[in-house]
Amino acid sequence: MVDTMIDGWNLVIGIEIHAQVKSNSKLFSSSPTDFGSNPNSQVSLIDAAMPGMLPVINSFCIEQAVRSGIGLNAKINEKSIFDRKNYFYQDLPQGYQISQYKDPIVGEGYIDIETEDGKKRIEIERLHLEQDAGKSLHDQDPNYTFVDLNRSGIALMEIVSKPDMNSPEEAVNYVKKIRSILRYLDTCDGNMEQGSLRADVNVSVNKVGEELGIRCEIKNLNSFKHINSAIIYEANRQIKLIESGGRVDQETRLYDINSNETRSMRSKEDAHDYRYFPDPDLLPLVLDKEWIETIKKNIPELPDKKKERFIRDYSLSDYDAEVIVSDKATSEYYEIVVNGRTPKLVTTWVTGELFSVLNKKNISIQDSPISSEMMGELIDNIENGKISNRLAKDVFEDMCETGKNPNKIIQEKGLSQINDEGEIERLVDEVLNNNPDNIEKYKNGKTKLLGFFVGEVMKLSKGKANPSTLNKLLKKKLDN
Amino acid sequence: MEFDKKNLLKLGKLARILIKDENLDSLSEDLNSILKFVDQLKEIKTDHVDPTSNSLEQILLSRKDIVEKINETEDILENAPEKEMEFYVVPKVIE
Amino acid sequence: MTENLSIKQASDLLKSKHISSKELIQTYLKKIKAGKELNCFNFISEETALLDATKSDERRASNSLKGDFDGIPIGVKDLFCTQGILTTASSKILSNFIPNYESTVTMNCKESGLISLGKLNCDEFAMGSTNKTSYFGPVKNPWRPKDSKIDLVPGGSSGGSAAAVAADLCIASLGTDTGGSIRQPASFTGTVGLKPSYGRVSRWGIVAFASSLDQAGPITKTVDDAAIMLDIISGHDKKDSTSSIKEKENYSKNINSNVKGMKIGFPKEFMSDDLPKSTLKAWEECKDLLKSNGAEIINISLPHTMSALPTYYIIAPAEASSNLARYDGVRYGLREKGNDLIDMYERTRSEGFGDEVKRRILIGTYVLSSGYYDAYYLKAQKVRSLIKDDFNKAFEKVDAILTPSTPSTAFEIANEPNDPVQNYFNDIFTVPVNLAGIPGISLPFANDEKNLPIGLQLITNSFEEQKLLNIAKNIEETVQYQAVPEKWWTQ
Repeated sequence: MVDTMIDGWNLVIGIEIHAQVKSNSKLFSSSPTDFGSNPNSQVSLIDAAMPGMLPVINSFCIEQAVRSGIGLNAKINEKSIFDRKNYFYQDLPQGYQISQYKDPIVGEGYIDIETEDGKKRIEIERLHLEQDAGKSLHDQDPNYTFVDLNRSGIALMEIVSKPDMNSPEEAVNYVKKIRSILRYLDTCDGNMEQGSLRADVNVSVNKVGEELGIRCEIKNLNSFKHINSAIIYEANRQIKLIESGGRVDQETRLYDINSNETRSMRSKEDAHDYRYFPDPDLLPLVLDKEWIETIKKNIPELPDKKKERFIRDYSLSDYDAEVIVSDKATSEYYEIVVNGRTPKLVTTWVTGELFSVLNKKNISIQDSPISSEMMGELIDNIENGKISNRLAKDVFEDMCETGKNPNKIIQEKGLSQINDEGEIERLVDEVLNNNPDNIEKYKNGKTKLLGFFVGEVMKLSKGKANPSTLNKLLKKKLDN
Repeated sequence: MEFDKKNLLKLGKLARILIKDENLDSLSEDLNSILKFVDQLKEIKTDHVDPTSNSLEQILLSRKDIVEKINETEDILENAPEKEMEFYVVPKVIE
Repeated sequence: MTENLSIKQASDLLKSKHISSKELIQTYLKKIKAGKELNCFNFISEETALLDATKSDERRASNSLKGDFDGIPIGVKDLFCTQGILTTASSKILSNFIPNYESTVTMNCKESGLISLGKLNCDEFAMGSTNKTSYFGPVKNPWRPKDSKIDLVPGGSSGGSAAAVAADLCIASLGTDTGGSIRQPASFTGTVGLKPSYGRVSRWGIVAFASSLDQAGPITKTVDDAAIMLDIISGHDKKDSTSSIKEKENYSKNINSNVKGMKIGFPKEFMSDDLPKSTLKAWEECKDLLKSNGAEIINISLPHTMSALPTYYIIAPAEASSNLARYDGVRYGLREKGNDLIDMYERTRSEGFGDEVKRRILIGTYVLSSGYYDAYYLKAQKVRSLIKDDFNKAFEKVDAILTPSTPSTAFEIANEPNDPVQNYFNDIFTVPVNLAGIPGISLPFANDEKNLPIGLQLITNSFEEQKLLNIAKNIEETVQYQAVPEKWWTQ
């Protein structure tokens, strides 16, 4: 990554993440939450704000928010209030969003992220539950905007950080870590392409030693790449503006993915005054202490803990452990494979061969052509010496292409390593018999020729001769 | 505070209600009268009093996370003043 | 045989086969047509009512009745959403709205076999106390001052509901009460109006005015009928999480008129020199009546009574300003053309809402806006706590509280004050009950000097509707007051 900051300037970033709660039905209605359905096909009377409709809260969404709060090391508030945030917009049917204002369900917490200088703690201010809005399509007609309410009313968790990040890398790592934790908890699927996790990024700059600058909020960033580029652009814009004698206006900006620039929103509310007040349709949410404890007890192992354990139990390097645990599915895959096998070998294969295939195909580990069981089988064959590491790579490639399991490939292609000393000796003898000149040279001190003999025997064995047995036998014969 | 022309128009913007010039005077008179009336609450001592949003003494009742019968798209769009295909339609919005 | 029938009487006639449901419905449809001048109905469901009646008669013939009151005609305030039937809240903005769903309350009525004759006129979005804010014009009170042809207001906002029952255009009706909208028109029309405890009746499918105050209830000719209607409409609804999970009682079965040993509170703050003499007299007489029937009268104090009205006129508009934001011309209702989205919103809402609704939206927007929230809205919520606390303390000493329902009897339509605040005083005795979330009933007690009915209000603690109905029945039985207006509109 290029050095984004200009000397003498300090960059301050705070992030609001909107994470869609993983649930079957919406926050206050029984409509489904499926992505990609036909327009307005998962809209209830409540979601369309028909007259007389009332919200009834989804208990699972409450549970998911509490679980997420615990995962963020945060305080769970025993009493929280749902408020109405009032504003008019075409995709906000009620004319207000039900959200939580003064009394959110989750209070202060923190997460640790990796930075170049080691671990850094990022404080979290709060997490609250709220409704998502519908979707507007502006490009369907030159004169009209089309509105689809499928998303209207889906439960979101808004996670607000303190302005604790100071570089685009930290910001990206923060969002990655939150996403990873939520995926571990299974409270959000983290699909950024589908909008299940979006970030509003607050950026300000100030001269080192001076007080904090005025911040701009960049709305709705839905990829790590965009978060990174938007921050770089925005920070540089603000610095240039200040250096040329201008002032930063506190405003909401949009990031244009085509130009990589941010721009002021044209449709600003004339005056932001959301008139928050407690929703009279919803009584205060009071959580039972014991119930919170039960949830706490059932929280799965989270990435930080898992990383510690992997380093301890599998002697992984910090780097490898980080790479493996950052994605829940990868860590689960790894653990299946490593069970009863040599961790170092497993790590090399998973982070090496497997990752490179996944990257090349641009797929996630869940869609891997090679299941954890098949990967284990392949490594077994290496460990028990049935095939060499070299041959294993061919088998692996074959597995990727055909989806066949490794034993079958080894058997079909007759790739089993030759371990029988007698058979290898026969091959060695054949090579030696055919190369008297080279034996002579070897004996006269050109010991490098050992490699030549190994190669010849391997060629003869179609790569199947056990390399260590072969080495042992060759040396014995040549050195006699 | 008194409602004058300026803040009445601002209020109308916030509430998305167009206030016609000819109604400004009578409307601000009405609103000032109401405001003066409710202003008497300022006399009441309310230190250490908790606010009441809803008088019902009951826990927040919730539902299970189950998808229930949903309406057909036609039902939802049935009363829409303007629709196109399966969408609600509004005048072009520029973000 | 079919004049001024109560639900009980109609049920007996149907049971004894003196009349069929179809005949009953036809009779009432005729009455409605004859009473057109009263402007009680926004919409008459003639066809469906007749169809429903035929079905009811078939059920009776095959012994598969939905209950004791199958086949009885009622009217429904045009604030309840009714499937396939125009639901307007008496507003231009909803004047073309046909819901494809049925409110829980009207669904409960249907499931008991009650038949809706149509949708009853009311103040626009239930905001008003004279029925003059209706887009469909004011309702006329069936009562007229003695020897006069002056048109009086029926009260509001359930003016159509009250007038229709008083004029016998239906046997009973459904209303809603946010600050007195059932009890005040009941008082003005000589009918019985019950506002149940907040949470006793589901709000699902009722066009919302102020969510923390709205409650549906019946307007009837007798206290027994009020109990019957409450049996039908009340109970927990899982679609309304502010509906109570408390078991409901069988009000009509358990009703008795015994007040022996009951303690009735007489709140001094409701006493005022401004009250008409006849109202004061009725109130005193009722006190004596209860005393002689064995109740104990206890003077009590509800110190924050005078703060209730200003509190209400902050809280109700605040909630309304938010509840009415959904009427934006996008998904249903009126849409006015605009140059852009905001212009469309502003024109639609400006054109679609009447003056009183606009006033309340603006006041509500104001009291919630930044810089004023604490001084107005939060303050009102706190005073609300004080008001509720007054009642809690009172109910430690008494079983029920007796007050006048309204500060005056019905007045001339033409005499309605121009100052909106003057109109708000119509609700001065009823509003505290909504703020506290407790039940109240207005029942006719006597005529004033102009021969107009005076209503008295009884109040009990939350979910003590049975006690409320019992005391009301005792009064009704003792006074034997027949509040039936002369049917001048049929001539």
